[in-house]
Amino acid sequence: MNMQTNTVTTSLSYGIVSVQEPELDQPSAVVNREAVLLARLRQGDEGAFNELVTRHHGALIRSAMGYVADREVAEEVVQDTWMAVINGLDLFEGRSSLRTWIFGIMIHKAKDRGVREKRHVNFSSFESVDDEGEEAVDPSRFHQSGEWAGHWALPPQPWDDRTPEKLMASQQAVSAMHKAIESLPKNLKEVLILRDVEGIEAKEVCGILKITETNLYVRLHRARERVRQAVETYLGGC
Amino acid sequence: MAQEESGQTSLEITCQEVAQWASAYLDEHVGDERKCQIVLHLAICAGCETYVKQIVTVRDTVRLLAKSEEQPSDSHRLRQAFVAWVRRSIPKS
Repeated sequence: MNMQTNTVTTSLSYGIVSVQEPELDQPSAVVNREAVLLARLRQGDEGAFNELVTRHHGALIRSAMGYVADREVAEEVVQDTWMAVINGLDLFEGRSSLRTWIFGIMIHKAKDRGVREKRHVNFSSFESVDDEGEEAVDPSRFHQSGEWAGHWALPPQPWDDRTPEKLMASQQAVSAMHKAIESLPKNLKEVLILRDVEGIEAKEVCGILKITETNLYVRLHRARERVRQAVETYLGGC
Repeated sequence: MAQEESGQTSLEITCQEVAQWASAYLDEHVGDERKCQIVLHLAICAGCETYVKQIVTVRDTVRLLAKSEEQPSDSHRLRQAFVAWVRRSIPKS
């Protein structure tokens, strides 16, 4: 995934807000690159196989960690996934993208493994939350009645110049965010990893997880909000 | 949340609704009417402006958190399996 960053300006309010916007791969570029890679794979090009593994292995491990107990098991799941990919290359019909197909295999294997392990371990990450249930943002932060009902009672305090790079420079901020991500319920964690960590386009994430875009944004925003709360708590204690 | 409801056009939107729609708004996954409501609201509400900026910061920081390339611990076995598949599946010219 091409993750070069460039500065863009976004108009949000009174002034112009400058944010770092990652430059994601265009879907058409991904399709073309995949078609070339698939053709090389089918010609038996070992370099193409190494390229495929290098491109997706880290993302597969991180996603598998959302379903299974630990990294060791996630590595086994992903190793099994690659074996299934090799043996299924002849059968791949191209109805989805190569990446969607590979992630689909991994999720199937990881869920199967996670279900078997659930009897033995108790992880919060195995829990899922209902898309219809809770509000993403704590309702107590808004006025509940009166003229200002639905408006901020406890508005967020500006993070001043805390850019992503500055947050990344703080070991404690990074640790707080990691903890928040680790403790996300499975169905929130998987969308955050695929969409935000891996930068996969929304439609493709929906294809991989077999969910609607509406569900994707409900889950994605709940996940981001929980991470935002973790940063807010960390900064509040500074 | 990211679903447009039909009904009367209204410029009114609450902070709670802006906060719920923030991620869909940032990805332009909202209809024109909803987008217009949010843009107008953000122009007059410092709390929501701060909130949306914080979601942008979270989104961009999460992208930086775990973006690393990794190699399988048993890449030799995978290479062997690929070579075996090639021998099986691709006729020698």
